[in-house]
Amino acid sequence: MTPAAPAVAAEGVSKSYRKWGRTRAFGTLKSALLGRSLAAALAPSEVVAALSDVSFTVARGETFGVVGPNGGGKSTLLKLVAGLFKPTSGRIAVHGKVSALIELGAGFHPEISGRENVVINGVMLGLTRREIEQKLPAIIAFSGLEDFIDEPVKTYSSGMYVRLGFAVAVHVDPDILVVDEVLAVGDEAFAHRCLDTIAEFSRRGKTIFFVSHSLALVEELCDRVLYLDHGRVKGLGDPREMLATYRLDVAAGEGARLATEHRRDQEILQASSPIEENPPSPDASRKQETQLPVEQPLEQKVPLGPDEKLRRWGNRDVTITGCRLLDSSGAERYAFRSGESMTIEISVAPRIATVDFVFGIGIFTPDEVCVHGCNTEIDGFLPERLDGPATVCMTLPRLELGTGTYLLDVAVHSRRETPYDYWRGACRFQVDSPDRDAGLYRPERRWAFAGAVSVSAR
Amino acid sequence: MLKNLAGLWRHRALAYVLVAREMKARYRGSVLGFFWSLLNPLLMLAVYAIVFAVIFTGRGPTTSPYALFLFSGLLPWNWLSSSLTDAAASLTTHGALLKKILFPAEVLPLVAVLAQGLHFVFALPVLLLGLVLGAFGTFGPSIPLGWPLVQAVPLFILEGVFVAGLGLLLAALTVHFRDVKDLLATALSLWFFATPVLYTLSDIKQERVRALLLLNPAAPFFDGWHDALFYARWIEPSRWGLLLAIACVSFFLGYALFDRLRDSYPEAV
Repeated sequence: MTPAAPAVAAEGVSKSYRKWGRTRAFGTLKSALLGRSLAAALAPSEVVAALSDVSFTVARGETFGVVGPNGGGKSTLLKLVAGLFKPTSGRIAVHGKVSALIELGAGFHPEISGRENVVINGVMLGLTRREIEQKLPAIIAFSGLEDFIDEPVKTYSSGMYVRLGFAVAVHVDPDILVVDEVLAVGDEAFAHRCLDTIAEFSRRGKTIFFVSHSLALVEELCDRVLYLDHGRVKGLGDPREMLATYRLDVAAGEGARLATEHRRDQEILQASSPIEENPPSPDASRKQETQLPVEQPLEQKVPLGPDEKLRRWGNRDVTITGCRLLDSSGAERYAFRSGESMTIEISVAPRIATVDFVFGIGIFTPDEVCVHGCNTEIDGFLPERLDGPATVCMTLPRLELGTGTYLLDVAVHSRRETPYDYWRGACRFQVDSPDRDAGLYRPERRWAFAGAVSVSAR
Repeated sequence: MLKNLAGLWRHRALAYVLVAREMKARYRGSVLGFFWSLLNPLLMLAVYAIVFAVIFTGRGPTTSPYALFLFSGLLPWNWLSSSLTDAAASLTTHGALLKKILFPAEVLPLVAVLAQGLHFVFALPVLLLGLVLGAFGTFGPSIPLGWPLVQAVPLFILEGVFVAGLGLLLAALTVHFRDVKDLLATALSLWFFATPVLYTLSDIKQERVRALLLLNPAAPFFDGWHDALFYARWIEPSRWGLLLAIACVSFFLGYALFDRLRDSYPEAV
């Protein structure tokens, strides 16, 4: 173990799991008993690749992050680094003592006291009994469970359980700390203490292998990030760059899902013909104050469908035949980044030629907060004629919305606000902010610093 | 394999704390606590004494008083059978541990054997008390008592090694074939009757049956226990050699299989 050796070196590591059902297991037992060699009987029949050809090195003292969707292979990679699993092919070399915070408190026995469990857990993690006895006071103090330490662990809350587990794991004094999504549990104060401990590990030149779905945390803590998807390396390098790639992929995936849903919705709604129906009860309708600038409809012609009934109404003198979202290049899209241009395209067809029409849109959050609502009347367009199929586009040159899912209402109604076709949630779209700013509204910002203050750009 | 065996020695501290945990956890919450380890065999002795003094009285003179004879074989048998039951299940019940913490998996079946061994050791004073009372003729004809008792120590070690080998084998197989656990219960009761616990091999008059029973690797151990405890006879060196050979073969075969399948446990449990 030379000082220059990397803490973790993976070379073309692949890992596959065998998969077999109940019948297969019975078949195996039978054939094993009938004299086929045991090794042959245990050979996998169906193989699922969890990791394919993954290579990377983690330098000593580096904080190395791993991100990716569920099923991307993160946990498998952690288990390989922790030495719990062996790679199917390729090589993984780990230099130094590994302490895995994979599942805190794994191996605690419910019937015996916290103190006794700490000793056992410490020995399992590779300490001698003398070492663990010496560290016991520090571990108990760190966990903050002084009053409960002699109670059986079965009386602990899940938070207490995890705190004690974390306290043991960090006091093992590993060279490589493997952290898997453990900070999601425990209260705020304890989460801070954990982060402080991890930061201190990093200061002391220890290697940290960090897996989390909290991208903000990964960006904050990690020197480099590995992006895994379907068991393959999709990127390795600067955290900001990797996380941006990952976020874009997530948004694209989300966009594809929303587009599919959108098409399905439109098919359902288009299939229904305008038939006279009872109006939806006003209390089932959206709250008055969040309603678009349309008066509560009195005479309504509502399309069919138990759900759709409440989502679309109007006399259909003019019918909305389609609603799409387009990006700046004119391509249909349902996932946007904050600051991008978004165009709402509404297609309409009148039953009879009319000179009385207003087009409106409303953007809502899923919990029905109106983010923005406007129409052609408010924006100063006077109707002149509508005597055939038409398309109306409204463009938001800069989508100043924060991260989240939004619902779009579109409507066409008369100037006296008799609804022709009011369609709630015609589109659903996703917005992703490149920063970690919070809230619905994401304005352009400028900061100024004057006086005895100095900052530098990251 | 030898490297792993050496690694196992380094993990003796782990084995120690796990055995201690088993013992503590077992009696936590019961009023009498550790006394159960003593009390259980005592109650068992009382039951057998009554049953064989009052109900089944027609035994031959070689195994009389039968309660003591039975007891000196039954305690080591209970160790064997409960150890194997626990060891077979040890990897699957501690599956969460195997998936999360890196430690030599063989510790788990070995801890099962050791923890049950401790219960056996705790029961020995009761057996000794019975033998002393037996020597004074409390249970019928008086029995000899003497130095051959110390043979219990090497017998304990050899049976431990023998059972550990089987335990490792069963633990490894149970991971891949859960059926082993169910089969084991039946196999153990069959094995119990095929082993000279309730009888001695010299009681068997049919030569063929006796030859068949001699193939049972556990048989020499229980002959040994009867000789050491009940008859107070010295065991000849050749029989010690046989016991040692059986124990070693069992352990190395069991360990070799366990070692070969080692990498599969965290995934398969």
